[in-house]
Amino acid sequence: MALAFRHHRLGNGLDVVGEINPDSHSFAAGFFVRTGSRDETAKINGVSHFLEHMMFKGSAKYTWEDVNRIFDELGARYNAFTSQEMTAYYANVLPEFTRATVEHLSHLLRPAIRQEDFDTEKKVILEEIAMYLDDPNHRLYERLMEEHFGKHPLAGSILGSAQSITDLTRDEMAGYFRGRYGPGNMVLSVTGRLDFDEVVGLAEEFCGDWETVKAPRVMGDPVIGAKTVEMTDAKLNRKYTMGMTRGPSAQDEKRFAAKVLQDVIGDAEGSRFYWALVDNAIAEEADFGFYPHDGCGSFYIALVTSPDRTEQAMEVAKREMERVKNDITEEEVERAKNKIASQLVLSGEIPSGRMRGMGGQWMYTGAYRSLEQDMATLRGLTAGSLKELMREYSFDPMTVVTLGP
Amino acid sequence: MSDRYFQHTFENGLVLLGEKMPGMKSVAMTLLVPAGVSSDPAGRVGVSVVLSDLVLRGAGQRDSRALTDHLDYLGLQRSSTVGVYHTRFGAAGVGDKVLEALPAYGDILLRPQLPDEGFDAAKDLSLQSLTGIDDDPRQKLLIKLREQYYPSPLGRNSMGIQGDIEALTVEETRKEHARRYVGSGAILAVAGDVDFDKYRLAVGKHLGQLRKSPVAELPRVSAAGGYKFEEQQSEQTHIGIAYPSIPETHADYYTVRMAVEVLSGGMSGRLFTEVREKRGLCYSVWAGYSSLQGMGSITGYAGTSNERAQATLDCFVGELHRLAEGVTEAELARAKTGLKSSLVMSGESTSGRAGALAHDWFTRGRLRGLEEIKAAIDAVSVDGVNAYLKANLPGPFTIVIVGPKPLKVPG
Repeated sequence: MALAFRHHRLGNGLDVVGEINPDSHSFAAGFFVRTGSRDETAKINGVSHFLEHMMFKGSAKYTWEDVNRIFDELGARYNAFTSQEMTAYYANVLPEFTRATVEHLSHLLRPAIRQEDFDTEKKVILEEIAMYLDDPNHRLYERLMEEHFGKHPLAGSILGSAQSITDLTRDEMAGYFRGRYGPGNMVLSVTGRLDFDEVVGLAEEFCGDWETVKAPRVMGDPVIGAKTVEMTDAKLNRKYTMGMTRGPSAQDEKRFAAKVLQDVIGDAEGSRFYWALVDNAIAEEADFGFYPHDGCGSFYIALVTSPDRTEQAMEVAKREMERVKNDITEEEVERAKNKIASQLVLSGEIPSGRMRGMGGQWMYTGAYRSLEQDMATLRGLTAGSLKELMREYSFDPMTVVTLGP
Repeated sequence: MSDRYFQHTFENGLVLLGEKMPGMKSVAMTLLVPAGVSSDPAGRVGVSVVLSDLVLRGAGQRDSRALTDHLDYLGLQRSSTVGVYHTRFGAAGVGDKVLEALPAYGDILLRPQLPDEGFDAAKDLSLQSLTGIDDDPRQKLLIKLREQYYPSPLGRNSMGIQGDIEALTVEETRKEHARRYVGSGAILAVAGDVDFDKYRLAVGKHLGQLRKSPVAELPRVSAAGGYKFEEQQSEQTHIGIAYPSIPETHADYYTVRMAVEVLSGGMSGRLFTEVREKRGLCYSVWAGYSSLQGMGSITGYAGTSNERAQATLDCFVGELHRLAEGVTEAELARAKTGLKSSLVMSGESTSGRAGALAHDWFTRGRLRGLEEIKAAIDAVSVDGVNAYLKANLPGPFTIVIVGPKPLKVPG
């Protein structure tokens, strides 16, 4: 039986969405804001992610020590993330902490951004940037996005650079926050064991006086051309390859077929890439995936090989992507669908999984989809659906970037 | 407890564990085979890793592709990994799919084809992943820390040793399969929408022929300790610290767990507060309790920019010493709430529970319900924690550094 879904919009435009599961043992809540690196100017690149950190540094009422202490008093599992397009702040708690959790999360969304905390946390951001520089996959991914998206807003780094972060001022951050982090540009997503009317009451109590914002987003299709870029680093043993090409957006009907295609071509087990590249050890890792964005999307490939096999691996990958357009079978689509159906059920059994999915879906489409709806859509897909998808998104042109010794 | 939990030991030593979780549609399985890297023969460290790949390349009547297609068709999310004591096969799916896969897992354990070609590829993949370690300094640090803290065989890199894997032959690998894929010491745990009787019948039928064999004595070693520096021109310096603690079966286990929560449980923990929040020295800093059979340890990590690495190490070790001065009532209350909440929330995941059942059986020889664990947590007092900490000062420290420059070990 489908779980109950409720939606309520506060007077100031804050959307509250809830999926109620009386069998759950916990309550999950998250604020999702429609802003990310794509909404930044080059000068303040990295501000959304740095702001994510600053949200935990206290509000008018609380210091950063209070924030940390209170979360731990609630026994919360909590975290936040920032992507190119959204930033979210969420917690999973036992149901008896519902009121305190909604209140505490609401404080996060009204940060004080104190200068002293800003200066200290800047060091932590710089440490995080340094940490990711030790990760070849991350370095390659950032370069891939830059090269693939070019002048399009999705090209920018989420973390920012050491320079842009060092130069960023507290007032620039506060200005960015005021423009985008408000009702009209956010949703409160709640799942698990909850009373929706009670949660709406809490949202009204703690967020009812927040001012509505109108936060525009620059849209438009990226201009993509085929290109290959090579980065070298003599310290590396392996060679890393990433490729990106157009795919369906987060709103596109074809995004469900794209998820199935991701599994058919690039799943860790039993996929086209697995048999053509990993089973015979040409590549240590060979991924094919789907990144939907707001209004546009991508398919990507990622290979990890010893340097002398990179060229061969790339040829094989391209060949497989060409072949599958014509010889994709109903059996392999069926297997992929079955694996995805399991994933949907398994992640749906955890309240925080449903909360994140629902928040993200609302950000992109302003709509809710139940597990049953997703399963029904999945069931309706065939090899024909995927062929049609690949006619529209033909994996060409592709941006390719490599990093190796 | 008996309506929810189930346990059965087969004649060949295989232990079946089950937890029925109302409301769940999925079932998750954790299958532990007593073939961990610590029991790989000297000179062939990593054979268990190659074997964990090779057994999946065809089993029973199904060749590699047919076996993969079969398990994929059942929609199972799967994993196979090798740890210190076991090769671990994981599977999770909807309804009866795990049950339906048991004949295939029986084939995998009892009748793997272990083909020559597959062997060459499995070996190649193992060697490739070893070369990748240097590309990831944090992974390298954690491997080196274990090697330094636990001497061989317990401290072995669970990815194996390059020279040993290079020398490995398919005949040796087949012999290892016959020797170590046995019933005694094997554990199969299932959690979720589980019918115990069906699982007992199916497991008996499909895995009952595993050979019984004398249970190998698990090695126990004392911590080696000391300081090790591995030069690497990385962006950050990676710091690893480990020191001895008590095993999970010790009466003071939850006392220690509470102390470690105060140190590094949530963001109000000592390490996060002092090293990251106040001083901005790190993005990633943590410490946790970890255990092997009959042994426990506290392990910690910090990644920090090279110029600040000494300050980070000094602060980290300082906090370990300061913990011994005592924890407050408020800190203990947060630690208790945190761990109890975490247990309930992990308990909402079928794969989490399957893993926990297997771990409990392996470590304690019995299953524990949530109420028992909650009671043990509640029984810990501030006086108890502080008396323990005073009587068990941290150390001796094993410290490993991966980065461009060595550091001075704080006195």
